[in-house]
Amino acid sequence: MSILSEAVKKYVGIQSTTEIACDPVERGAVRRYAQAVMNEDPIFFANCANNERYGGAVAPPLYPTHLFRRPFGAPDPIQENARNPDFDGIVATISSQGLPEIEPLKGYALLNGGAEIEFFRYARHGETVKLTSRYADITEKETSKGPIILVITESEYRNGDGDLLIRTRRTQIRRK
Amino acid sequence: MAIGTNVYYEDVTVGAELPQLEKGPLTTAHLMRWSAAMENWHKIHYDKPFAIEHDKLPELLINGSLKQQFVMQLLTDWAGPDGWVWKASFQFRAMNVVDETLRIWGRVSAKRDGPGYGLVDIELGIVNDKGTESTPGKATVALPYRGGKPVPYPFVPAQA
Repeated sequence: MSILSEAVKKYVGIQSTTEIACDPVERGAVRRYAQAVMNEDPIFFANCANNERYGGAVAPPLYPTHLFRRPFGAPDPIQENARNPDFDGIVATISSQGLPEIEPLKGYALLNGGAEIEFFRYARHGETVKLTSRYADITEKETSKGPIILVITESEYRNGDGDLLIRTRRTQIRRK
Repeated sequence: MAIGTNVYYEDVTVGAELPQLEKGPLTTAHLMRWSAAMENWHKIHYDKPFAIEHDKLPELLINGSLKQQFVMQLLTDWAGPDGWVWKASFQFRAMNVVDETLRIWGRVSAKRDGPGYGLVDIELGIVNDKGTESTPGKATVALPYRGGKPVPYPFVPAQA
């Protein structure tokens, strides 16, 4: 039996407004990120010969894709769900890349299915990052563990001047 | 090959292996540190009862987003300061769980001349301690010609 309803399919084509990350590229945040991925290349924290052509210290390549976080004043889903045993910890503003949450899939488990990414330039320290996204496709697939829904999202990340940094096409796996 | 050194298009042969990268063992502390750095509080990466009893997973999962970072490090280390990692794709075909050590690998699958730089296609993946491949993928890296200029930055692709 199909789990992909018409109500879910209607999300295909929905595009986000342009979101601006709540914080610019900060040196301290870049440090924590680089240390967490265990790649402390000097280009990420100091002006050096190897980042001269990028205009100085830059963030790791995928950093802009993780910069869209809960801003000051926004509702706190972790506190709101403190007594909800089914809350999975996912903060929609982070996981949905600026797109509205797919309401009929609330409560479905979410797994990262993969991504195709193109890189054009690094985000420099101090730069702001902007994001636009769209739901490109939503399909159903039968697996040995039952049906799953594949949500394909396309996003573009640009700096404050509008220069393209990264283009992504992500697959999220949703299952009951 | 030392990190931060350049590799030139002419020196690359199809079938050549990239220097492998090893990460791990990846403990709960590693996973928590990554969750905090990216402010992603998905419980399947740090709340073991939730991961196993609620989401029916075998263990705490190593984040796919963290595995992507490792692949990017493999590629950028290899491309060198004058090269550019243009495209990368990954499929998360199998789960990697806490305390595994991951070996990130890449192999040159094709190369083609371009104007001002060459393009190198790479097959890649991530293998755990048991030899299970979890993250097959592909990448395209632009490399400078020996004696030529660095790959243009910002990168504007001249060919598909």
